[in-house]
Amino acid sequence: MLRVKRNKGFLVEELGCWTVQRKLSNVNAWTVSAVIIMALLFLPNLTIVSGIFSPSNDNWAHMKEFVLGSFIKTSLILIGATGFLTIAIGLSLAWLIAQYQFPLRNFLKWALVLPLSIPPFIGAYTYHGIFNYTGVIQTTLRDGFGKDLNPAYFDIMNIPGAVFIYTLFLYPYVYSITRIFLSQQSASLIESARMLGKGPVNIFFQVVIPISRVAIIGGSSLVVLEVLNDYGVVKYYGIQTFTTGIFQSWFGLGDIETSIKLAASLMGFVIFILMAEKLLRGRRQYNYSTTKVRPLPLIRLKGWKAFMATGYGLLILSLGFLIPVVQLIDWTILTFGTIPTEEFLIYVKNSVTVAGISATVIIIFALIVGNFSRLVHGKAAKLLPKLTILGYSIPGAVIAVAVVTAFIGLDGFLAPLYRLLGVDHTLVLSVSLAMLISAYIIRFFAIGYNSIESGYDKIGTDFRDASRLLGVGLTKTFFRIDVPMLKGAIVSGFILVFIDVLKEIPLTLILRPFNFDTLSTKAFQYASDEKIMEASQASLVIVGISALAIVVFYKFLEKEPE
Amino acid sequence: MKKALLLVLTIALAVLSACGNETATKDEPNNQAKEAEESKEVNLYTARHYDVDDQLYKKFEENTGIKVNVIKGEADELLERIKREGDASQADVFLTADAGRLFRAKDEGLLQSVTSDLLDEQVPENFQDDDQMWYGLTKRARVIVYNKETVKPEELSTYEALTDDKWKGRVLIRSSENIYNQSLLASFIETNGEEKAKDWAAGLVDNFARDPEGGDRDQAKAIAAGIGDVAIMNTYYLGQMLNSEDPEEVKVAESLGIFFPNQETTGTHVNVSGAGVVKSAKNKDNAIQLLEFLSSPEAQGQFAEANYEYPVNDSVEPTELLKSWGEFKEQDIPLSVLGDNNAKAILIFNEVGWK
Amino acid sequence: MYISIQDLCFSYPDTNRAAVDHFSLTIGKGEVVSILGKSGSGKSTILRLLAGLEKPSKGSLCIQENVVFDDKVFLAPEKRGIGMVFQDYALFPHMTVQDNIKFGLSHLKKEEKKKRIQEVLELVELEDYGNRYPHQLSGGQQQRVAIARAIAPNPHLILLDEPFSNLDAELQVKIRKELRDILKKANITSIFVTHDENDAFALADWIIKLKDGRIDAMGRPCDLLGASRPSEIRQQEPELVGV
Repeated sequence: MLRVKRNKGFLVEELGCWTVQRKLSNVNAWTVSAVIIMALLFLPNLTIVSGIFSPSNDNWAHMKEFVLGSFIKTSLILIGATGFLTIAIGLSLAWLIAQYQFPLRNFLKWALVLPLSIPPFIGAYTYHGIFNYTGVIQTTLRDGFGKDLNPAYFDIMNIPGAVFIYTLFLYPYVYSITRIFLSQQSASLIESARMLGKGPVNIFFQVVIPISRVAIIGGSSLVVLEVLNDYGVVKYYGIQTFTTGIFQSWFGLGDIETSIKLAASLMGFVIFILMAEKLLRGRRQYNYSTTKVRPLPLIRLKGWKAFMATGYGLLILSLGFLIPVVQLIDWTILTFGTIPTEEFLIYVKNSVTVAGISATVIIIFALIVGNFSRLVHGKAAKLLPKLTILGYSIPGAVIAVAVVTAFIGLDGFLAPLYRLLGVDHTLVLSVSLAMLISAYIIRFFAIGYNSIESGYDKIGTDFRDASRLLGVGLTKTFFRIDVPMLKGAIVSGFILVFIDVLKEIPLTLILRPFNFDTLSTKAFQYASDEKIMEASQASLVIVGISALAIVVFYKFLEKEPE
Repeated sequence: MKKALLLVLTIALAVLSACGNETATKDEPNNQAKEAEESKEVNLYTARHYDVDDQLYKKFEENTGIKVNVIKGEADELLERIKREGDASQADVFLTADAGRLFRAKDEGLLQSVTSDLLDEQVPENFQDDDQMWYGLTKRARVIVYNKETVKPEELSTYEALTDDKWKGRVLIRSSENIYNQSLLASFIETNGEEKAKDWAAGLVDNFARDPEGGDRDQAKAIAAGIGDVAIMNTYYLGQMLNSEDPEEVKVAESLGIFFPNQETTGTHVNVSGAGVVKSAKNKDNAIQLLEFLSSPEAQGQFAEANYEYPVNDSVEPTELLKSWGEFKEQDIPLSVLGDNNAKAILIFNEVGWK
Repeated sequence: MYISIQDLCFSYPDTNRAAVDHFSLTIGKGEVVSILGKSGSGKSTILRLLAGLEKPSKGSLCIQENVVFDDKVFLAPEKRGIGMVFQDYALFPHMTVQDNIKFGLSHLKKEEKKKRIQEVLELVELEDYGNRYPHQLSGGQQQRVAIARAIAPNPHLILLDEPFSNLDAELQVKIRKELRDILKKANITSIFVTHDENDAFALADWIIKLKDGRIDAMGRPCDLLGASRPSEIRQQEPELVGV
């Protein structure tokens, strides 16, 4: 055994080298960028967190006495029922598509994501339009068959109706994330279960559900947050939820403290759910780090089984996409020409621009933060990025106020610079698109991050380690190994964010610069005036662009060897 | 390698600032113009978003050369934005479809008093703010609509009468979350006192045909569907339905009668859409010109007609449709009490369980 | 000595038990050392510590008297000149065999790269497979590519993590032999961990038996495992025989 003899000079040299090393360390560069990004995403939320400590006033007491209980109950019912149904539908479809071959499977594979292109509030208006007294169903029964059925049977403006709407238009979150996971990760596990003589039902419950847990939780937590945050559907259907309370106290009672207190409670609830999930997961790592990414070979279904599979897929697709779209087309034809159409191109351009920029920035941020999270050990590094999901849990209008406040502060800070540049007014950033886009990023970061994180989970760390041991540094490894291997996650994350921004309402309404209209503000404008038929044109274009994005990206993905 | 990472961040920032710059440069010519001569623009935050509004703004620009820059949004959020922007706010005019919100804007010190002979001439006094902080532009009435087959107009009299046992399970109205209902109850707090107003709300809830759902139009449809017999709703929704592209909606609207309640007593509840000049307005003169234009005979017809509302300018006749519904006595209360009592109204709604 | 590991200690966060407990070892140039132990004995952790994928709580590693890590210095994995063959190879799925090997050769000129790729492919007898993608290869071929990739940059030390665990028995025997030839031919110092005494017996110059993160026994294969072929005692998990 040989002791290492070092002279002093050598030691000093090594030490010097170490300090430099430390300063320039790649890990640290990643950490610094990630921490900056997370801070930017958190900062506006801090205004809200602080609200939880403000003393309660009379309004708070009043709300607690009369309405808060029922608000919470309704919210929990909506979350519970929607969560359960989206998992049931999303997971079953994901499994069918990932494991079986049946007629139209290749079409349904991407088409089943299409319901995501319909904003829930438009879906809610549309389905109400179909089911209500003057809608196509009752009219046909009445005039065509002379049947005057009790209109109450067709009433969907209630809690089950809202659950129906949320489920139809939100299940793709669970479906898409789980399907990608199953088709790429589960081959050996499912095959070994098959070898152990398990039937498909057993495999589904004993293997598929447990191994997809991360994907399911990822997808369904997006659904839950989307439901918690939604205002359009419940407002129109007259259902009072927690969000109703936030708006009521803020706008109705003019009491922003109480509303922030409510928003903070909501955030607390979301944090609790996230923690619970983390605790349940414990130390178990869920990357099945078999680095051999092997697609699952498909089993061909025959006869009535194939028929059932196709039928089930088509049923969900019809309810979640085809039927509402046909109704929107019908209304568009009815109202065509009543609205100036030449401006539509500008709306389209605006919508696509903000959605594209936001999605790009979010994906870049998510890649950086995700990489940080798996580079740095310790609970904080795992938990902090999870918390950026909070932006997704706060009602858009509350985020908007936080962002406006932050940007006005920023403008005040930059005022000397503006003067230096010869700009004469004091608000520059806060009247620009930058403010709106920043708000989108805070709001939808979770969507992009979820996708990227599950991508990182899936590829594990062996590839990265292998690359580093071949002498390639972290950052280069990131571009040459991680990014190419994450392509699927990047693309799906991008689509999800893009579509979400396209559909977004409250932030866009409040934070947009002068004379800036998007398709969704246009659709909402008519819908809020109860002119749902006039709203159909802009809605249809939103749906069209989103659907196109889904199709193009899926075609692109299919060309790539997995 | 660190460079690559920095590059990514820089690109991200560049993209962000680029979109900031884009609008900034777009604004540039305007800003310079502002310095060179009298400003030729006016910035409007509006919660009214009918297509006809845009046409009127264009006409205004043709008449005066003043460009109207618009942000459309929900009233409460726009108010909050003006508040947050403070003195630096670029908003010159705040326009909304409810007197309560106008009151709140005034109450929070966001508006300023403006006087103009032309405005005084065009907008009757009871549709102006006491301190000339805002001016009404259109009127809308919240009335009782009934099923022509099952209800005779003689059976109807007042809002208050709808709490009679006779109407048990027959009354339709939307959720209390809606500002029109809040303003309605706020007006009763003024005319009848808080206790009576609460009794009325509780009594009406007892007579509900169903839990409140949908908008005003949905109440009309529910009458046609036989779920209830009477509904409280704004007149213009009926006007929209009568002129709908959908023949089924027209059919529904035609089966309904319209009744102006409280004609013998306090008068039918009326609300306005209106506008005020923002306190920190940089283009005050232009803002006043815009208000004058919107209340002028030239604009009033179109402004009100597009949405089947009543013009505030007495010299302008309502449309044929509105005339066919007849004249009516309006609630005689200062509109600002709608805002004053708004919070009280919400608390009452919560207490009586009006969803 | 060529490689010197001193007093290596490590425990995973949230646990009290040391995963690696005062582990010291020196290795001569070109020697093949096998770390033998049951799963959970800490053998893979030692590899990860040497590679720089985990940070030791204590201890040092010197290669040719240069400090790789001690209580002051900690070189990043990519700066260590240590190669590793992962248990399931971690071949980059989006790159061909050639590109996988080329990946570690960025310091070479284009011509040299080509030459080196050719050399290592010849070494592992896969000259004709350069343009294949990993998923087009058999398990044995994948493993050889992984070895070629790790050898290509001429590392001071190569680490192999359960190199045979994914191969069938027949292939295992064949490849074992090949691997020893390759390592010896290239004169590369290597450490491999395994739970299989046969592997250790066939491949290693030295065997370290590891138990609970501590060295339990150490010696030449014939001394440690007896002259008899250990396949006879393979049926039951072998109990340790003292030196």
